[in-house]
Amino acid sequence: MSAVAAKPAAGSAMNPTAMAVGVVMFLILMGICFFVYPVGIMPLLLIVVGGVLIGFGVHFVPVGGAPAAMGQAPGIATGVAMLAAGGGLAGLFGGAWAAAAGQDPLVVVITGGIGGGLMMAITCMMVNFVYVFGMGIPAASGKVANDPITGDSQAEYKSQGTEGHGLPFVSFVGGVIGGLFAGAGGTLIYLELLEVYKAALPTVMQITAAQALPIAVSAAGMFAVGMFLVNAVLTAYNITGTIEGPHDPKFKRWPRSVVASAVASALCGLVAILIVAI
Amino acid sequence: MEHIVFGIGITALTGALATVAGAAEDTESNIGSQGDPNSQVQLAPQMGFLHRIFNKAVAGEPPAYGLWCALGCGLAWAFMAMQFNAVLAIVLGSVLAVFVQGVYATTAYVGRTASLSKFGQPVYVDILKSMTTVTMAHAFIAIFATVAICQLINGALGHPFPLPLLGLVWGIALGAAGSATGNPYYGKERQYQNQKFGAGVPISASGNIVRYAEAGERNSIDNGWFTAKIGGSASGICFGLIVFLELWRTILFEQVAAGWGAIVVGVLMILVFTVVDRYIEVWARKNYGPYTEAKEASS
Repeated sequence: MSAVAAKPAAGSAMNPTAMAVGVVMFLILMGICFFVYPVGIMPLLLIVVGGVLIGFGVHFVPVGGAPAAMGQAPGIATGVAMLAAGGGLAGLFGGAWAAAAGQDPLVVVITGGIGGGLMMAITCMMVNFVYVFGMGIPAASGKVANDPITGDSQAEYKSQGTEGHGLPFVSFVGGVIGGLFAGAGGTLIYLELLEVYKAALPTVMQITAAQALPIAVSAAGMFAVGMFLVNAVLTAYNITGTIEGPHDPKFKRWPRSVVASAVASALCGLVAILIVAI
Repeated sequence: MEHIVFGIGITALTGALATVAGAAEDTESNIGSQGDPNSQVQLAPQMGFLHRIFNKAVAGEPPAYGLWCALGCGLAWAFMAMQFNAVLAIVLGSVLAVFVQGVYATTAYVGRTASLSKFGQPVYVDILKSMTTVTMAHAFIAIFATVAICQLINGALGHPFPLPLLGLVWGIALGAAGSATGNPYYGKERQYQNQKFGAGVPISASGNIVRYAEAGERNSIDNGWFTAKIGGSASGICFGLIVFLELWRTILFEQVAAGWGAIVVGVLMILVFTVVDRYIEVWARKNYGPYTEAKEASS
């Protein structure tokens, strides 16, 4: 089929074969971990959960890219992966601190999520602040007639020749939810890798647990940041450009991204675990 | 008690530094057209509008600042390991990171602009000389403030992450906050100053950026001057609030109810910002009103 003959809606279609291949790859990667380093199977599973949380959460973040910077489309005027990384890493920062304070793992993960959500809440509020008080432009969605949460009508608040601008309330809420998921996912990955390294490094490097701790924290932090970016960029490809938030039709593409994030996280997580297993 | 008072003092200092960093970052990126509005600077010559605007966007602000701040932090950490005074180490680390930023800005401007030669867009050597040093000066302020924040978080507040990793995390967050808040003001309000105030830029006007100033042709220092007033300060407030509130809730409430205290305070703060955002949205709808009648728009 030529590019001209291709259906324009293909971007949102699910490909069952590709999804099945993704699931098989995921199972193979988990199987490798089980045979090579059986202790790492549960951490790897939770790392995959963290990656999936990031991939799913990024779909909520309202990203307008370049058109939003000219008030031509709603959303935050920056890239998908970048914004999600900013929010998620702020969450990871808080989660890592809570982990160092010896808090319960559940508390650590939720703390990371709240950190990401808080960063996104402040950023989204400031975006609307600049649009309204700096540029005199009200928020309006280009994808729905009424805001699904507040019921506010949108069409008459779109200026001529644009697809909308600013952050309608549903996009603000989407941004906060995205930050919560992304922050929690990044923190979960960090926490699991930290536990693996704390347990394995003293034996592997023939050092004491106290000497191994800074190395474990650094390595887990670096891998968590790297895996965060992998999942955020994968999701950016799935979104292809801009998304307004959970009410955007592109949001329905999330199952594809979840499978891709699971496979990518399993592969990255396996490599991260195997550096202390082999 | 002393520990908490000390922590609050450090938190206030980091918040102030973050505000300076955010404002400098946005102004630097606007002078270099590094945010999303670079698309218009790149598009304009293709539409026949030749200009003298600097454009160094070969990476987004978050990864670029992630690199520069991680570099600044890593070098500062190395100098401190060599027994340099911490302040001197931070300054030297930031200076070396800024040289990397200067090389990046130079090659990016030359590369991006040379790619437009088929549309007749010249590479202005005087622009290269005058703009690059201005972006470097602003980048130094942003990187120095961020590296200082990371050192305070690591050294004084005891965060477990090593200094270079903190630089990467907060550099990316700085770029994300600065580009999200500052880009619309530069993109719409400055580049399209010839369009109506209080409305988005019609898609049909894309590429027709303002190229002339009060006297002569507009350059990017004019843009930095203009956007520093609202875009820069708003970006500063945004990043300052993020750093300050994240540290504040951790320092004061992390030990309350086994960590749940910080979580509850974080949720409350998110709710407060949600209410403020909703107030701003409703205020705009009431005071500015719709562009068209509701009936007409829905038909």
